[in-house]
Formats: sequence, C-alpha cells, structure tokens
Amino acid sequence: MFDDPLLWARLQFALTAGIHYTFVALTLGMAALILVSQFSAVLRGDAARLAAVRFWGGLYVVNYGMGVLSGLVMELQLALNWNGLNEVFGHVVSAPLAVETVAAFFAESTFLGLWIFGWDRMNRWLHLACFGVVTLTAYLSAFWVLVSNGFLKNPVGFEMRGGVAVLTDPVALVTNPSALLAFGHVATSTLLVGGLVTAGVSAYHLRRGSDPEGMFRRGVRRGVLAASVALLPTAAAGGAQYPLLFDPPASSGTTLDAAEIERIEAAGSGLVRVLAETGNAVMALVWTVFFLVLPLALLAWPLRGLDRWRWLQWLMPVLPVLALLAGVGGWVYRELNRQPWTVRHHLTTAQAVTELSPGLALLSFVLFTGVFVVLAGITGWLLVRFARRGPAGGPLAPAPPPDSGAAVPVHSY
Amino acid sequence: MELVAVVLLVGLLAGYSVLAGCDIGLGMLSPYVARTPEERRRVVSAAAPYFLGSEVWLVAAVGVTAGLFPQIEGEVVAGQWPLFVLLLAGWLVRDAGLWLRGRVAAAAWHAVWDTAVVAGSWAVALAWGLVLAALLGGGALPLLFTPLCVAAVALLFLLRGAAFGAERLVPVAGRTGAESAEAAARATRVLARAGLVVLPVAAAAAWLDGGVRAGAPALAVAAAVTAVLAVTAGVSGPRWSRPTSAAAMASLPVLAAVGGQVSAAVADPRSLVLVAVATAPMVPVLAVGQVWLYRMVRRPAPESGFFA
Ligand code: HDD
Ligand code: HEM
Ligand code: HEM
Repeated sequence: MFDDPLLWARLQFALTAGIHYTFVALTLGMAALILVSQFSAVLRGDAARLAAVRFWGGLYVVNYGMGVLSGLVMELQLALNWNGLNEVFGHVVSAPLAVETVAAFFAESTFLGLWIFGWDRMNRWLHLACFGVVTLTAYLSAFWVLVSNGFLKNPVGFEMRGGVAVLTDPVALVTNPSALLAFGHVATSTLLVGGLVTAGVSAYHLRRGSDPEGMFRRGVRRGVLAASVALLPTAAAGGAQYPLLFDPPASSGTTLDAAEIERIEAAGSGLVRVLAETGNAVMALVWTVFFLVLPLALLAWPLRGLDRWRWLQWLMPVLPVLALLAGVGGWVYRELNRQPWTVRHHLTTAQAVTELSPGLALLSFVLFTGVFVVLAGITGWLLVRFARRGPAGGPLAPAPPPDSGAAVPVHSY
Repeated sequence: MELVAVVLLVGLLAGYSVLAGCDIGLGMLSPYVARTPEERRRVVSAAAPYFLGSEVWLVAAVGVTAGLFPQIEGEVVAGQWPLFVLLLAGWLVRDAGLWLRGRVAAAAWHAVWDTAVVAGSWAVALAWGLVLAALLGGGALPLLFTPLCVAAVALLFLLRGAAFGAERLVPVAGRTGAESAEAAARATRVLARAGLVVLPVAAAAAWLDGGVRAGAPALAVAAAVTAVLAVTAGVSGPRWSRPTSAAAMASLPVLAAVGGQVSAAVADPRSLVLVAVATAPMVPVLAVGQVWLYRMVRRPAPESGFFA
C-alpha cells in the first residue's frame, strides 16, 4: 500500500491543502474586520484606532506570507502531481485558476505591498482604498478557486471532444451551484473565524489587564458581533449543500455509462467514508459550541461581562482554534465525499494522478509536506507571539523616532 | 487568438524576468556586496518591496500557462519534474527568508534567513537556466550546452542585480555606507564583460550540440543580447546597466518562445474568453497598482520597514 504513488500524492494534497486553507481562512476573515476597523479609524481620524489597525494588520501580513507560500506550492503541485487531471480537464479546471492568479492575486499582492509601505507616506483615504482592494481580491481569489473546485464535484458546462473536456458554457461554470454555495459557506465561515480570532486575542489581553487606549475592549465587541452575525448564515449555506451531495451531476453518463460508474463507486473504501463523516461531525459539533457560547457573549455585553468575566475570557481564545478545526473538517468532508472520483462520474483519482515512480512520489511528499509543516509551524509561532505581545513592537508598528538607531534608509540614485 | 495568448504569456514572463531579476540578482550578489549586518539589512529592505510586486508576474504566468496552454503545462512542467521542483524549492526558501527575516531581532535568526535568501536566489536562477536549456534542447539537457546556458542565465541575473544594487544601495545624503553600492557598481562591468564571453560560447555550443531546432532565431536573440552588453561592458555603475540588463533579461522568455520546441496549442476559445472577460476589468487596477508600488518604493524608506 505504501509503495502506491497515488496514496502519497493524495496524502500530500490533503495535508498541504488543509494547511493552506487554515491560513487562508484567517486571511479572509481578518481582512473584512480590518477593513471595517480602518474605515472607522480613518473616518474619525483617531490615532488610537489606527494603532489598533496596525496591530491587527501586522498579524494579517505575517499570516498572508504563509498564504502565498503555501498557495504557490498548491499551484505547482496541481501541475506536477495531477497531470491526468490537466490532460483531460485542464482547459476547464485551470481556466478559473488562471483568472485567480491574474485578476485576483496579482492585484492583491501589489496592493498589499502598497498598504505595507504606504503607512506613513500616503493619503489616509488612498491607504484605506489599498486595503479595500486587498480585501476584495482576497474574496475574488477564494471565489475563483472554488469555481474550479466546484467543477470537480459537479461538472457542468463542458463537452468531451476526443477524450478531452472542452469548455462550452463559461456561464454555467461560474454559476455552478456547487461553487456558489461553497463560496457562501466559505465566506460566512471565515467571517466566523475572523471574528473569533479578534475576540479571542482581545479577551486574552483583557484577562491580563492590558488594554491600551481601549483597543481590546473594542476588539472583543467587534469580534463577538462579527461572529454572531456569521453564525446562522454559516449553517444555512452549509446545510444548503447537503441536497447537492449525492445527486449525480447533470453531465453524468457522458463519459462513462451508468454500469461503469456503479462498478467504480462500488470499489470505494470504508475508511474514507468514516473519515469523511468525522469531518462532518467536527463541523456540526463546533458550530453547536458556537451556538451555545456566542449568545452568552452577546448577553454578557450589556452587563460588561466581556470586560470582567474571567471564565469567558478564558474560553474565548479557544474558540478560533475550534473554528479552524471545523474548516479543515469541512474540507475533509467535501473532498473525501468525492472519492473515488476527482471529477465526479468522469475521471477517477487513479486516472488523475501523474505517473510517478513510488520513489519520486515519496520524495515529493516528504519535501513539500515537510516544508509546509516547518513553514506553518514558524508562522503559527510568530502569530501567537505577536498576538500575545500586543500593539507595541508588532510587525507594522510605527517607525521609531529618527536617528534612534543605525538604520539607514534606502535611497534612489 | 493564439497569438494574443502567446504574447500575453511571453509578456508576463518578460515582466517577471526584468522585475524579479532585480531582487533575485541582488539576493545572489548579497554575500559579495553586503558584508556587515547593517549592509545585509539594507539589501533585504531594497529587495523586499520589489519581490512583492515582481513574483506576481510569475504566478500569473503559471496560471496563464495552466489555463490557456494545458499541453505546455503537461509537456514541460511534468516532463521536467526535477527542474521545476528545484525552482519551486528555491522560490519557497527565498520567499520564506524575505518574509521571516524581519520578524525576530536576533543575529542568529537573521543569519538563517539571509542564508535562505542567498541560497534560494541562486537556486531560482540556476533552475531557470536549466529550464531554458531543456526548452531549447527539446526536453533533453544537451551535454555541452546546458552548463553554458545555466552560466549565461546566472550571469544575466547577477548583472541585473548588480545594476539594481548600484542604484538602490546608495545611502541618503549625509550618511555613510556607500560600500555596497560601489561594490555592485564595480560588479556590473565585470559581469557585462563575462557575458560577452559566455553568451557567444553558449550559442556556439547550442549549435554544436544540435540542441536548438529553431537555431536561427535563437542565435539572433543571443547576438542581440551580446551586442547590448557590449555597449555597456566598458562602463560601470547603474545608469547604463539598468536598461541593458533589463533588455537582456527580457530576451530570455523571447528566446524560449522562439527557440523552444513546445507545441503552443492554445486551449479552446471559450476558455480564452472566460479568462479575458474575467481579467479585463482588473487590468487597469493592476497597471495602476504596479506603477504606484514601484514609484513609491523609489523614495527613501522610513526607518522601520516590515521586511527589514
Ligand atoms: C468555521 C468553519 C465551519 C463551520 C462552523 C461549519 N462549516 Fe461546513 N464547511 C466549512 C466550514 C465550516 C468549509 C471549510 O468552509 C467547507 C469545506 C468546503 C466548503 O464549501 O466549505 C465546509 C463544507 C461543508 C459541507 C460540504 C459540502 C460538500 O461536500 O460539497 C457541508 C454539507 C457543510 N459544510 C455543512 C455545514 C453545516 C450544516 C454546518 C453547521 C451546522 C457547518 N457546515 C459548519
Ligand atoms: C484549500 C481547500 C482544499 C482542501 C482542504 C482540500 C482537501 C483535499 C483532500 C483532503 C484531498 C484528499 C482526498 C483523498 O484522500 O484523495 C484532496 C484531494 C484533491 N483535491 Fe482538494 N481540497 C481543497 C481545495 C481543492 C481545490 C480548490 C481543488 C481544485 C482545483 C482541489 C483538487 C483536489 C485534487 C485534484 C485532489 C486529488 C484527487 C482526489 O483525491 O480526489 N482541491 N483535497
Ligand atoms: C487546492 C487548490 C488551491 C490552489 C491551487 C490555490 C492556489 C493559491 C495560490 C497560488 C496562492 C498564492 C498566490 C495567490 O493568491 O494566487 C493562493 C493564495 C490564496 N488562496 Fe489558495 N489555492 C487553493 C485552495 C484555496 C481555497 C480552497 C481557498 C478559499 C476558499 C483559497 C483562497 C486563497 C486566498 C484568499 C489566497 C490569498 C492568500 C492569502 O491571502 O493568504 N485557496 N492560493
């Protein structure tokens, strides 16, 4: 079993995608909250609120770095390890990913650079607008990736010509319910993540009695509010996906006939089903925890309990960890449900994988999964470190007064 | 239609070569131009804003290749598996160094990530040399031509980095510390002269090896680059080497496109339409963002930066 290249390629994809998604969920969720904070700070011209934006923004940027690094590997991994998928469905599956890179990521990274380097040298409204572009393009990224992923689950808008899938209906591809509902569920569940991270970090600092200029009092409220707003829509958008789960896709039967499909599906493994259902259960369980805790936090708000109740302040920092766990659980559920297909009813996972020798497959696995684990470990450690340290000395902390160090600015000729 | 897609791809790769050549080349050169911790910090703070804006060109090129030229992706990327793994590994290590270097204020931490930036920059440049050799050699790596091609590509990266460093490592008025800029400025002349030797030899080797099928256009590109380098091989310093190194870097993807033995079968028209329609509205935003970013980072950086 362990000399099967397919196993290593799948395991590699699952682990790297899971790690990628964890950081991306944080990016998506925090972007929305930071944008609102910066808008409110700029509107009021309030230096204290801007300092808070620098703090949350510092966490955002550290996290973004990992999102990019891991995203690059995802992209190359699709090319290297899943050649069979590219050969047959490359025209269809890769087109949205191409849009993602050109239209979304290109702008996202450029404007994030402007935002990072523009803190002290740009009009504050323009600076806010830069983060507006960053937020918008982060969601655009997620949308186009999910269009690609949604096609795997519910293949639409294509025709088989000479063994190769050709896109015939771009509109159907983009309005695939399997992509749109997933986007709705990803957007709402990452808002849940962003809200709980903000609330959790804030509650940690309040518990320790640190609250520079009220930033964490505001943070815990804003976080609880955002998470509460996202709670029911998360369940609604998630629940709406169940009916789609086991219906055959409309294009079923155009590549393989019903008997072949049945034969392939009958060979599925029981372990995969158990794992998938575990992912499903994790989501439901975590959501239930939030469903119980968030109303309590809302209740505590007018009683000033958010600032004072120790038990609540102990509980809050745990919640974002649960939310990230639920996100991975959700993906395990979605991707394993698709087994043994990579493109449902058209291409099996075994056909999708590149023909690698077991040695190369293992090398690729060790190399990339290893790099991911190391990078994720370092980034996670840095995030926790900066989150605990508070606003002073964060990655985007304001420049020290001139001439306080030996630092020499770079100058043009 | 086909031509539009090819021009788009070569354009993205040329943008990447020209812009990323600056920060990758400077990373390769940094052991030579930056000897003190302060100098190393300044190398990173010069390169970091650039890499955010420059590597997106490659990400976009990878996306466009996957989306519009699925065959190329299958043939070239999967066919040259180890080369692309080397490229990706170098890219990752280098980016990790740039992202992480500024996060902890400790000499050992800086040393680790500075090393990562240098090693990663070299790995990326060498991997591109190998990829180019494989493309021109039609999938195989010609015995004689490959090392020369790798050397030529590495030289061009170094030249680009030296030209960039000579301009951007100059201290603000009234400060000392011009050694890095001067070292880089001196390097431009040496590198340009080395290029004058290596490029013709590499071209000759390509001929001998019979590697390059489309030999005439490939030789024409090589000759043009050599001529461009000859113009500035006599002078050192940033002024002239900036445009010449840019022209030399931009010629690499052109060379790959005309000399590479790749079937440029474009995806079907509907995929093209989808990509075109979905990206067109973003193009002005991208243009504004890129120009704005590069203009902004030309001005002196504030004392504390995110990256260094
Ligand atoms: C904070 C994270 C989080 C939480 C609390 C939930 N989910 Fe979820 N779920 C995700 C995060 C997530 C996800 C990571 O975002 C997934 C993976 C793919 C997707 O579209 O969203 C997902 C997938 C996913 C799927 C898979 C659809 C498919 O296979 O295509 C279903 C059916 C649900 N969810 C249903 C729910 C329900 C009914 C929930 C509440 C009771 C719920 N999820 C809570
Ligand atoms: C970041 C979110 C994602 C996560 C967490 C995720 C998770 C997974 C998991 C757990 C597997 C392994 C299933 C198995 O055991 O075979 C897998 C496989 C795979 N996923 Fe995803 N996935 C994500 C997004 C995507 C997207 C957007 C695509 C489409 C482009 C995609 C394409 C694939 C492919 C090609 C495989 C391998 C073939 C297969 O096992 O079906 N995934 N993914
Ligand atoms: C499995 C397939 C996936 C691939 C090939 C992939 C590819 C990439 C790449 C190349 C990057 C870095 C550069 C860029 O932004 O384009 C990236 C980052 C990103 N990805 Fe993915 N991705 C995958 C899954 C996902 C999923 C499932 C989501 C969201 C639901 C997602 C959302 C994002 C976002 C928002 C970013 C921006 C980086 C950040 O802000 O942290 N990706 N992805």
